Amino acid sequence: MNYLLSLIAGLLLAFMVSSNGIVGEAAGNYASSVIIHFIGLVAVIAVLLIRKAKFKNLRQLPLWMYSAGLIGIITVLFNNLTFTALGVSLTVALGLLGQSITSIIIDHFGLFGLPVSRFNTKKIVGFMIILFGIIIMALPV
Amino acid sequence: MYITLAILAGVSIVLSRIVNYVLADKIGLFQGTFFNYLTGFIGSFILLLVSGETMKLFSINSYQGSWWAYLGGIVGVGVIALSSFLSSKISAFYLTLLLFVGQLFGGMVLDYMVSNDFSIQKIIGGVLVVIGLGYNLWIDAKNNKASTEIEKNNQVSSI
Repeated sequence: MNYLLSLIAGLLLAFMVSSNGIVGEAAGNYASSVIIHFIGLVAVIAVLLIRKAKFKNLRQLPLWMYSAGLIGIITVLFNNLTFTALGVSLTVALGLLGQSITSIIIDHFGLFGLPVSRFNTKKIVGFMIILFGIIIMALPV
Repeated sequence: MYITLAILAGVSIVLSRIVNYVLADKIGLFQGTFFNYLTGFIGSFILLLVSGETMKLFSINSYQGSWWAYLGGIVGVGVIALSSFLSSKISAFYLTLLLFVGQLFGGMVLDYMVSNDFSIQKIIGGVLVVIGLGYNLWIDAKNNKASTEIEKNNQVSSI
């Protein structure tokens, strides 16, 4: 059951690329990002109210810790730009490649105060397979 | 051009996920998610004002897409809740791998539904991408197990 739920969560992530892309086509890249974030904000406020969640320790935290939402704008913007040109599956595949490479760089250098975990050269094999898969996906029919 | 943008979107996902993870660790998951959408909303709004497309926010045409397409924000909050629930139930290895599989094959189903775009190549390519991602994930999982049992799941790929 939990495995199925994990698959569904992945499917929903792909759904977001497609749904956000459609809003982007209707409202333009910038207005669509406002609409998408506003609806998400309303949803999370509803969750907080239902759970009667409290906010604590906000002032002690450095400002950069609040920057994730700003980085998220780049995600929405770039996904919307590529969605129309490449479709969902190729956008997702390239995004996953970008995620893997970034994770490895951060782990290798221990950025953001995370523990260092050196790059294992065996992973080059994995990357070759991923690249080969993406090339096959991108080939014109 | 589009290929670079799609890869950079992936880079931005990891960066925001790490920052969200650090914040959620301090103030709670949904409190962190609240600030994620709040700063995202404010930032987008400023960008919209600068772009000169502000009127599009109030134009009827902007709301003429299929109604379900506007649920993306709600789905985003749902996925955050679901992943946090699942991360306590199954190993990071299976969760991440199944998220990959769900995204890639969900993407293919959506391509077919939205633009009737379907090909055997996409399936073969998608299977290869999953094999490659899964292989690297498996190497991480093996190393984590070998190093320290206490400090497992400390790599970015499992956040």
